[in-house]
Amino acid sequence: MAFNRELFFENADASARSGFVIRAVEVRKVYRMGETETHALRGASVDIIRGEYLSIMGPSGSGKSTLFNMIGGLDKPTEGKVYIDQVDIAQLDPYELAWLRCRKVGYIFQSYNLIQVMSCIENVMLPMAFAGLDGEEAREKALGILDRVGLTGRALHKPSEMSGGQQQRVAVARALANSPDILLADEPTANLDLKTGEEIILLFRRLCDELGVTVITATHDLKMLKKSDRIMWIEDGLISKVTTPDQMNLHEEEVH
Amino acid sequence: MSRAVQIAVQGIRIRLGRSLVTVSGVVLGIAFLMSNVAGQLISSSLAREKETRQIVTLMEALVRSEVGAASGKTLGIAVFGAMNRTEHLFLNRLSAMPFETIRITGGKCPRGIPCAPQDVGAGTYLLVVLGQDESAPVALDDLTRGMARVGLLDSVEARTYENRKPDGVKRELLFGKETVEQMARMQAQADQARFRTIWVAVISLFVTIISISNALLMSVTERIREIGTMKCLGALSAFIRRMFLIESAFIGFAGSVAGMLLGSLIPILIYGWMFGFDLLFRELSYARLAASCAGCVVVGTLLSMVAAIYPANFAARMVPASALRSNV
Repeated sequence: MAFNRELFFENADASARSGFVIRAVEVRKVYRMGETETHALRGASVDIIRGEYLSIMGPSGSGKSTLFNMIGGLDKPTEGKVYIDQVDIAQLDPYELAWLRCRKVGYIFQSYNLIQVMSCIENVMLPMAFAGLDGEEAREKALGILDRVGLTGRALHKPSEMSGGQQQRVAVARALANSPDILLADEPTANLDLKTGEEIILLFRRLCDELGVTVITATHDLKMLKKSDRIMWIEDGLISKVTTPDQMNLHEEEVH
Repeated sequence: MSRAVQIAVQGIRIRLGRSLVTVSGVVLGIAFLMSNVAGQLISSSLAREKETRQIVTLMEALVRSEVGAASGKTLGIAVFGAMNRTEHLFLNRLSAMPFETIRITGGKCPRGIPCAPQDVGAGTYLLVVLGQDESAPVALDDLTRGMARVGLLDSVEARTYENRKPDGVKRELLFGKETVEQMARMQAQADQARFRTIWVAVISLFVTIISISNALLMSVTERIREIGTMKCLGALSAFIRRMFLIESAFIGFAGSVAGMLLGSLIPILIYGWMFGFDLLFRELSYARLAASCAGCVVVGTLLSMVAAIYPANFAARMVPASALRSNV
């Protein structure tokens, strides 16, 4: 499996290595259901540069979601190592893992996963509460974030009262609640219409450029791929290639 | 901690419908327990009254066995001295029986009965002697003169009779040895019944625990996505566990209070209707009742929390990746 190693710093010195916010080394994941074994990942290795906008692409069943969960700290590999900010996540105890998910990584899901019983602003304030931020300070910060994603004035609405695009924005706001270094978005535009999807992609791009947030998405969306810094292709449990958008002819590439 | 409380309260509010199902399980279980406990308590408070009524029923049965069908017959009652409560009740029962005529001498006439100062015995089928004064000798000859059939029931064993029983007068004791044996038998039956009800109450508590566990497990399964999301936002496993335990504590407390109220109401109503509410409220030991109520609420709340341990652990141990992947 050849992939474009010119884009990676192999065995580089510490300063170069500190440019990687996430590293996955020979990660394997095996799911056992009864007697059958499914090898979702067969030794994938990923190096993600700090502050870049990375898209991960792959057909269904390729291990894309599994890899995504690994690099996001949502699951532990069967073999291999995942380093988030030079910390091996397999060594983390539950408190540290919770801290990681709370402060370092913001998650955005395809189906928004908002808490239906809470209003917008309460949803955004929830991770702040887990981080120990409460009260008026939290409220003001949450209002500020809602402004930034373009949801001014909708603070008290419940998710059921909002469109898909607006709900996704709330999800983005929630992911940004604790000013994380890393944003993990799983198919964020899949359930959105064209226009709203474009707005979300622009928002990510701005976060990346203006705030230096590392944005990692798993996606099939061509518009998103075009706006990324790098595109990683995964197939059959392994990284098949890494390219930049202009290196591909995106109109001819098969997306699935 | 307070955040866990807040989320638990919100959770209950939103899932009120399904929470009600769990709550009703607790209510029924605790109501059953409480009705047994309160029933025992009230029953023992009214024990004397119950005994009295049992005796009176026996005495009534004795009269019936002596007399057969009451209609068309005359009953004679002679009262010597003051009557005790048992005899008062017995007198009420007798006056309610469908005798053709009841003649009474010596005591106060119950309403609607002709009182004849003498000649109680004329045409009388049966003579009943009541009253606690055993010293004054009773002139049996006078009393039984003219009786159609000579039979005598007496409530006091040691009553003195002038001239010994005339021939042919059968004297039965209303409250004799047989009734004592019968009372002992009834007491043994009551004890057995009490043991059975306690056993049933214990089993029903187990059923309550199991149904709460089941309802909570269903709740956890429904909320898998939500739990996974919370973990992604940084919630600790301990937080998730605490959330479910608090939720079940609230449900348990609310259900126990409701069950306690329902369960204590029913025996009060039943015993009040049987024995009279004034007697009931007079005799009832309020201290013991309050203690039983508090005990039942505590038991119900604790049981709910115990029932929640397995579901809460199940929720707390979920891996976010699999939680979010689920199709529920």
